[in-house]
Amino acid sequence: MSAARDPLQRVVVAGAGQLGVLAAIGLRRALPGAEVVVLGLAPDPGALADRAATALPFTNRLHDRLGIAENDIVTRAQGSHRLVTRYFGWGEEGQGGAMPYGASIDPALRTRFAQEWGGGPRNAAGQMPAGSLGEVLADAGRFAVPPEGEPSPLAEVDYALRWHPDGYRALLIETARKLGVIHAPGELAAIEPDGAGGIAALSIAGAGRLPADLFVDCTGPAALLLTALPGFALEDWSVELPLRRLIVARPQQGMLALEDRFSLLSEGWLGEVAGRAGLQIALGVAPGVTEDAALRALGAPPLAGFQLEPGRARAPWLGNVVALGDAAARFEPLAHLNLDLAHRQLDLLLELLPGRAIEPPERAEYNRRSALTMDAVRDTLAAHYAAPAAQRVFGLPILPPALAGALDQFARRGRLPFREEAPLLGQEFQALLAALGFTQGRGPQAVAAQGPAASAAAEALRFRRQAEAALAFAPPYAEFMVR
Amino acid sequence: MSIEQRQPVRVVVLGGGTAGWMSAAGIAALLPGLASVTLVESEDIGIVGVGEATLPHIRGYVEKLGIEEAAFMRATHATYKLGIDFRDFGRIGESYIHPFGSFGEKVAEVAFHHYWLELARQGLAGPLGDYSLAVAAARANRFTPPAQDQSLASTYGYAYQFDATLFGPFMREHGLKLGVERIEGLVTSVEREAAGGDVGALALEDGRRIEGDLFIDCSGFRSLLLGGELAEPWEDWSRWLPCDRAAAMPCAHVPGAPLRPYTTAAAMPAGWRWQIPLQHRMGNGYVFASGFLSEDEACAAIRASAEGEPLADPRVLRFRAGRRRNSWQRNVVAVGLASGFLEPLESTSIYLAQMAITYLIELFPEAGRIDDRDRDEFNRLVDMEYDRVRDFLILHYHATTRDDSPFWDHVRTMEVPASLADKLELWRRAGRIEKYSDGLFYDASWIAVYVGQGLLPQRHDARAAFADPMRVKAALDRLRQAIGEEVAAMPGHEAFLTSETTRLADPA
Ligand SMILES: Cc1cc2nc3c(=O)[nH]c(=O)nc-3n(C[C@H](O)[C@H](O)[C@H](O)COP(=O)(O)OP(=O)(O)OC[C@H]3O[C@@H](n4cnc5c(N)ncnc54)[C@H](O)[C@@H]3O)c2cc1C
Repeated sequence: MSAARDPLQRVVVAGAGQLGVLAAIGLRRALPGAEVVVLGLAPDPGALADRAATALPFTNRLHDRLGIAENDIVTRAQGSHRLVTRYFGWGEEGQGGAMPYGASIDPALRTRFAQEWGGGPRNAAGQMPAGSLGEVLADAGRFAVPPEGEPSPLAEVDYALRWHPDGYRALLIETARKLGVIHAPGELAAIEPDGAGGIAALSIAGAGRLPADLFVDCTGPAALLLTALPGFALEDWSVELPLRRLIVARPQQGMLALEDRFSLLSEGWLGEVAGRAGLQIALGVAPGVTEDAALRALGAPPLAGFQLEPGRARAPWLGNVVALGDAAARFEPLAHLNLDLAHRQLDLLLELLPGRAIEPPERAEYNRRSALTMDAVRDTLAAHYAAPAAQRVFGLPILPPALAGALDQFARRGRLPFREEAPLLGQEFQALLAALGFTQGRGPQAVAAQGPAASAAAEALRFRRQAEAALAFAPPYAEFMVR
Repeated sequence: MSIEQRQPVRVVVLGGGTAGWMSAAGIAALLPGLASVTLVESEDIGIVGVGEATLPHIRGYVEKLGIEEAAFMRATHATYKLGIDFRDFGRIGESYIHPFGSFGEKVAEVAFHHYWLELARQGLAGPLGDYSLAVAAARANRFTPPAQDQSLASTYGYAYQFDATLFGPFMREHGLKLGVERIEGLVTSVEREAAGGDVGALALEDGRRIEGDLFIDCSGFRSLLLGGELAEPWEDWSRWLPCDRAAAMPCAHVPGAPLRPYTTAAAMPAGWRWQIPLQHRMGNGYVFASGFLSEDEACAAIRASAEGEPLADPRVLRFRAGRRRNSWQRNVVAVGLASGFLEPLESTSIYLAQMAITYLIELFPEAGRIDDRDRDEFNRLVDMEYDRVRDFLILHYHATTRDDSPFWDHVRTMEVPASLADKLELWRRAGRIEKYSDGLFYDASWIAVYVGQGLLPQRHDARAAFADPMRVKAALDRLRQAIGEEVAAMPGHEAFLTSETTRLADPA
């Protein structure tokens, strides 16, 4: 008979940014009998996941599970909602498009074995990008969070949250305290190896020794714990991701908007993340652009500049150390993926939570799945630089093979191969490619379809009705927010 | 000029078995105007005529082609299938059902089976199958289609068990209606194009020639085009799946016995025996390894173990486990037995044919020109499907304590593929399932077989032991009770079939 594993008794999370604190909350909830300590290292300024003011819909689900109320984020961290991300100028002249979020909880997954032909994740080919109601609502500036569990014309609309990182972090810290997470301030003085490829204890300046069964490295790109281990190796992404410099502007006047924007300029890409907490502007500077030109393109007083060396840890879990967020992978804040990836990794860690004695196969499984997600993130970013106009700004792209295959299939056959553990659903990636100006080919079935005019008209009518119902149901967004 | 105005691709399907007619009807239905389909079959050679149990995906095929379920069931004398009952695999005297459905639900990020393992350790849990609606319904010989919502009644799927000799003809009729041209004749040689070496035409015994642009090889085990003419290399898997023969013998139903909504696979000294209940008879056969049992012995064994009145003498079929390295080579795509074979232990063969057809339709040559990238993509997808099924089948043999025959000694102690060895290690050490979301057989299936065959992990998730065991037990009891109530409200399998007489075949 199988026996329950000895549970982890002490977990140390290194790094007290918004990621480290949420990780501590997750671990503490999972292990009510364990001591969970957050080593309060100041977040690394280059830790983009820790500084992110937004994520993707996945985070909302994680928050639900970890007991972080969306309403608290809205009222206490100046939270707001995003329905679409708009892309300008990535395709040909004047081209633009919006990426909405697809249906996120797939009922088919519950009995996946019973998936029917054509169902499941396999082929998104030929379908309308799901959730384009989001675009209709964003255009009209109308939205309300759909009432839970009730049928409503907005039930299919998914959204992401934005917030003020300080307010959000304060909210998380308060939750962590209530749960009994221990805060240990101090500077890391030394790392004591355990002789088995992991860590026995951390020494904290002036505060002694911090031993643990499991260490979670949320220290940002420095990855203070992971890089100290003998097995550490980096996988370089600089060939696939050409961006080297990022300039962030001083936050501008906040605004209520249901969309964020990424525009392609000749100096690089300009990201504008709206929200009540302030408009966050960043410029991903194209190679060869002068600082002056970059600052002009930024269009607002600069706050900070970062050098980017994109890449990921070959294995983000070594010994008893698991790296999350920038400590595992670092890359530009281009498609709101930084914190999204970090949260997916946290969720994976909670799913595969080890016992006190870590089994090598479970570590291997975590690293396998986590690597699949990280590489899919890299390829999602690389798709941006492969967009028709982006090639002129960032140079000819060198495509990872899986992305090259996907883009080829998309262009010629109108289909996208399924990708395990990818952060975006098939339909979402399809919508992203369309927004970036890639032309979708027509699959054989679409070409062969008989009476396409009639069925397309019926489909358009159905969508128009849905859109009308959604617009009638949703109040102006500002009205919803003052309720 | 748009693609629509081009000449349709001339598709020639060689073979009129299940794979051939599924391919022909599928392409004709889904690519009208893009393809013209001709199918060549030979009555002299005939079809393999077995292959009666399916997977739920077949419903999608039937639906997509606009075929009415009731008419289809009536024509093929079909019954419903909720899973497979595996007997004597892990140990003689033990049995479990691998259902089309899940077991319980995860709680607080921890999968159900960890809680079940913890309760079972404390002697507080029933068999795992008690927590699956599909298993409970199967055991009670009841059936109703699943609900289309999120309730407990939606947590299963179903497939069909049908007469393999009637399914092909049914699809043929459908294909002919869709405009497939059928040619009766024996292919005696294959013509290659001088430039490039693609297949150009099939030559028939009577001198006719059938030209085509794309050839679908559905010639069964002969693999006339892919394996024969193009000599595509064979990847042999018989070192892991040694069964290479079957003795099939259909029987009458045992009078008075209930009509089971599931397939039975009973382990035998040198393989296993299937029982597939159809409306009018019981499919029956012994899949065995000729290295361990002679054909005569197998025929005697199937006669001795068959429960109903035999309707024919045992017929021996020969095969081997493996697949062609590439299923699509040049302008030849193999579908069905011509592409490869994995024994019917999990009823995967028709599924594999269906998937190949799906992928071929998605990647159908644009304007008649075959692009290497599409061919590579097709082969990648087909390999992925085969490899996943292969490992899962090997598990059924390897996860055993049986040492009562040389055959079981062999499979119990053999070295398994590395991809399976890794999955086994992860399960043994941590009670976890290697995750994938494409292809066949997800967590619930792996858990059903591991647990059903007595291969329990050494350790399970610590969190499953945090809650008060009596509270967890109460929750599991409630689930079992709710399942019991659902099942009690379902009609009997036979009653469901007869209540809707449109599904019943005319008495033969
Ligand atoms: C023992 C056994 C049990 C099985 N059980 C199951 C099961 O439960 N579930 C499942 O999904 N699958 C099962 N299968 C597999 C299933 O039977 C096949 O996948 C399915 O029948 C498809 O066969 P086919 O069409 O590829 O080949 P066949 O039925 O052999 O058809 C071959 C066709 O090619 C034609 N042909 C061949 N050569 C020539 C020629 N020279 N000229 C003209 N025509 C030619 C033949 O006439 C015939 O029409 C089982 C297989 C075996 C052996």
